[in-house]
Amino acid sequence: MTEMINTLMETVMSNQVSIPLIEPMLDSLPEIPMLQYMVAFMLWKPLFALLICPGLTVGGITLLFFPWIERKLCGRAQWRVGPHEIVWWLGGVIQLLADSLRFLFQEVIVHKDAHRPYFLQFPFLSFMIFLLPLLFIPAGTIVAIQTPYAIQIILALVCLFPLFILGLGWASNSRFAYIGTVREAFMYFAYEIPFIMAVIAMIILYKTSDPLLMASRQSIPGIILNPVAALVFFIGAAMATGRMPFEIPDSDQELCAGPHVEYSGIAFGLIYVLCYEKGYILSALMTILFLGGGSGPAIAGLGELSGVFWFVVKTYLVLTTLYMLRAVYPRYRLDQGLKLGWSPMLCLALIGLAISLVEVGVMAI
Amino acid sequence: MEETEKDRNIRILHSGVFTPLRRWATKWSLWPCHFLTSCCGVELAHTGACGYDMERLGTLNMGISRQANFIMVEGTITRKMARALRIVWEQMPDPKFVNVIGACGQRGGIFWNSYNITRPSDIVPVDFFIPGCPITPESLLRGVRAVQEKIEGRDNTTMRFKHVELPSGDGEQEQNRAPTTPKIFAPTPLVRVDVSRDADWAFGKDMVKNLKAQLNGLYTSITITDKNRIAIKTMPENLVETSRKLSDTMGVDHVKSVNVIDVPHERKFMVEYMVSGYTEELMPVILTIFTEIGREAEPEITSLASLWESANYSERELHDFFGVQFKGNEGMKGKFLLAPDTPDTPLRKDFKLEEEHYTIEEGVPLTPAITPPHYTPPSSSSSYSEFELEDLKMPTYEDVLKEAEKNDEFVAFIGPHHSGSGHLRWVMRMKGDIIKDVIPDPGYVHRSMEKIAENRLYIQNVPLTERPNISDPINMNLGYVRAIENALGIEVPERAMYIRTIMAELSRIGAFFYDMGIFPLFMGHSTGFMYSFAIREMVLELMVRMTGSRCTPSFIIPGGIRRDISDDVLDRTRKFTTAIYKRLKKYENIFVYNPVLISRMKEVGVLTREEAIRCGIVGPFLRASGVEYDVRKAEPYEVYDKLDWEATTGDAGDCLGRIFGRLEEIKQSVEIVRQAVDAVQGMPRGGVISEEILGDYKAASDDIRGYLYNVYGNLVLPKGEWTSVTEAARGTVLYSIISDGESNVPYRVRIITPCWMNLRGIIEASKGERVADFWTVYASFGYFPPEADR
Repeated sequence: MTEMINTLMETVMSNQVSIPLIEPMLDSLPEIPMLQYMVAFMLWKPLFALLICPGLTVGGITLLFFPWIERKLCGRAQWRVGPHEIVWWLGGVIQLLADSLRFLFQEVIVHKDAHRPYFLQFPFLSFMIFLLPLLFIPAGTIVAIQTPYAIQIILALVCLFPLFILGLGWASNSRFAYIGTVREAFMYFAYEIPFIMAVIAMIILYKTSDPLLMASRQSIPGIILNPVAALVFFIGAAMATGRMPFEIPDSDQELCAGPHVEYSGIAFGLIYVLCYEKGYILSALMTILFLGGGSGPAIAGLGELSGVFWFVVKTYLVLTTLYMLRAVYPRYRLDQGLKLGWSPMLCLALIGLAISLVEVGVMAI
Repeated sequence: MEETEKDRNIRILHSGVFTPLRRWATKWSLWPCHFLTSCCGVELAHTGACGYDMERLGTLNMGISRQANFIMVEGTITRKMARALRIVWEQMPDPKFVNVIGACGQRGGIFWNSYNITRPSDIVPVDFFIPGCPITPESLLRGVRAVQEKIEGRDNTTMRFKHVELPSGDGEQEQNRAPTTPKIFAPTPLVRVDVSRDADWAFGKDMVKNLKAQLNGLYTSITITDKNRIAIKTMPENLVETSRKLSDTMGVDHVKSVNVIDVPHERKFMVEYMVSGYTEELMPVILTIFTEIGREAEPEITSLASLWESANYSERELHDFFGVQFKGNEGMKGKFLLAPDTPDTPLRKDFKLEEEHYTIEEGVPLTPAITPPHYTPPSSSSSYSEFELEDLKMPTYEDVLKEAEKNDEFVAFIGPHHSGSGHLRWVMRMKGDIIKDVIPDPGYVHRSMEKIAENRLYIQNVPLTERPNISDPINMNLGYVRAIENALGIEVPERAMYIRTIMAELSRIGAFFYDMGIFPLFMGHSTGFMYSFAIREMVLELMVRMTGSRCTPSFIIPGGIRRDISDDVLDRTRKFTTAIYKRLKKYENIFVYNPVLISRMKEVGVLTREEAIRCGIVGPFLRASGVEYDVRKAEPYEVYDKLDWEATTGDAGDCLGRIFGRLEEIKQSVEIVRQAVDAVQGMPRGGVISEEILGDYKAASDDIRGYLYNVYGNLVLPKGEWTSVTEAARGTVLYSIISDGESNVPYRVRIITPCWMNLRGIIEASKGERVADFWTVYASFGYFPPEADR
């Protein structure tokens, strides 16, 4: 038993997040029983990644406050203030908390024509599945599961998302949900191939698919090395999250929010944050692939948290850009979206691949 | 005590251990269901837009009933809409709250004796009523706060008025309390459409000669009834032949109005078609072809819809109103504009509306005894709980569904509760992503304006005529008032004419910005909506300064305007004409020249010149298809012929053309306003009401307040039909008043609004386009359902 604990502690202690700033504090901890073990566990890298960043804490903050930031920024762009009165001295920052609590306490209606088991389980299931890629995304040097195939796994999981949206739409059994679901399927095929090709271009460029290595190989950020692939990735991300120019499947004015027209209460609350979740993961992926991950000027005293800090800042920057599209663009028609995916984006993705190949060739010479 | 529905929602919030959390969350997250029912929706849009910004309170307008928890019932609930309201309410998850805004939702407001309205409080439990016609955005926000405080368990929002005892018994007081002049209905009115009138109109005399030669043997009489108006009487069996002749030889290509007049004591219906052509000499002329048919149970007449398609929907509407069968029109089976449970043939004279009765007794002051229609006093159990869901089925169009199934098509029912439908319903048949056909189901805001107008004094109809379109009130009023002025032969003072022109153009700018704010919203572009409504807010502020009302000023009266406007308001208007350009530029940059928008609008929903004329569309949309018809040029009224401006025409006929045309028209309107303001500033003040109509009350020529009913109460129009056409923002609005020369109420008022004529164009333009394009086409026509349904 003691041996087991010792081995465990050894594993945990060997893989700690080093934060010089709080080290004096940690040194004084052994005087308090049990606490040092708890802190050690918290600072164990896989668990830190899971619980703090990019996992639960930062993810939760993103989901709770990013819709607010979006509403606020769009409000500024539209000559108004956005959510304000709820805590007026903080600019209404907890607006989303009120919205989500309201959804939580509201009635969940399952209408007569719905396929009841699927109708109820898909929102929860998709929420879980959408969180899985976070296991493989490193924040700086901290990652939950380190594997050389991380990017491929993330990509596979990201490409799984639309299936759940299809499931939602199918289980709803409503006319608008049906049209929205079909549109979602169409759009999925349109953006998926260029999107994957853009990622492959970067894998070729960095000659690895381990996100940690990728970040370390970006002495020049990927967005400068291969701007075409970055553009394709960004547009693909906008399509995948259904942001404004491509808000085609769940267009509010045409299809009453498409696949999720019939959802209410907490089931809708979960679906409402799905696209923010998706946006967070794709922004994180973009940070790793094109913006150098957690690299940045080291901040004294933060140690490895410095990487985490830069990672979060970059991710939020991408996310904000993605969401500010809403204030600028109206939406495309389905056929225009498909055309964009199948012709210009596919061509650009091929050009991106070619650029990567040429650059790899030049570097080899 | 029995628990009511209203209390139930509050009780849900107050149960369980999480009560404080529940209350707090619900309070700050009241998402109103985007349920537009009537014209108060204009002000709701303003509340959501950047001027007032409803989102400050966490009130995010949500399009979907399943996710909302708050309905703001905007004004009138008609019999047709009542079903939709109940269904939407049933779809919403508990706990849910209902606010009714606008006067129509309480006791009917100005439409209190309409045959087609209901009370929202009979259909759903209502938490708060917010008065006003229309409500102001401030009071709407106050309504939201009231619900929030109710959720918190406080009720200190109800205003308590101090009770004031009015002194009574004073002779002078009693005189003032007599509300209106008693209405006089002639017992056997003499209804004539073809009353001859001498007009200085040489072309007309030639034309009559020409017509007599052409229609040899087909007509009974041809009369010049006024300048630019000719009435042709014919027999029912010759109607089609006459029309065909006119169409073939004279170039008559569209119908401006179809009208049926019920004359019960002569046992006849008069059916009239007002037709005209878009050739240069025929543009200002309106030919009225009319005929008389017997007043039987099932009167019949041959339809002209196959000849002039623009008559189609009007004929179907009149079939609802009078029960006249138009043979050859396909839509004669069910009801089109009216709800299944509306009384049959409501516009016949033997269908009486509820009226105010004034009992005159010796020694007792006049006391009105009003019985509102369709009102059952609340019993112990509230009436909405007796509503059966089975009664709330809407028409399902079984035959359409069957046919669609045969052709492997997909049918979607869109509206009336849909974030992109407005207040009407579409049955859309699509094959893949291509629209095969769209079937309109209008009438969700039909408030029986024509019937009510028959029961009110001429002057009382002035506020009524602007209610169909409160986003363009002045032009709607102007048409009605001009018809009266024309009949009485009144010259309006020049200063009043200029001020009327300024206000009409401001109103036009406002209406354009309303349409061009809703358009971006339909494309999912909320920034364009906000920018547009910000500019509209400037226009409304000018309106408030001029008239005191944002949307419903009723400022234009026969003979002039209510009162003179002050110099500093004119200065402000002058400044507005330069200030608007800066914001307009921003709007154009973000929305109109947005590449995504251009790719969505270009070559979408094309109507060629021929198609546009055939469908009978009017206004800027007709001009965008290349027809140079602007009433302000063709038949100038007010001071449009004294000012320097140009009518805009385009030839693309697509959605982009319709937007660009209106943008250009805004600029022209601003120029008109600038010139008119300059002209008014050089004129002496005062004298804004014609002395001819004032009679003994010359003192009121600056300000009619206090003398309105004295001057206008007993207004009687000369015998005959008086038709005016006016260029409102969305097109030609036609008022046709039929007077018997004895009553001080009109015998029949026919209102043809531009949106009603444009409905056909929307259907034609969207056929064959992609599904998402339907909203582009629909919004590009600036369709405003209350205006169409009247």
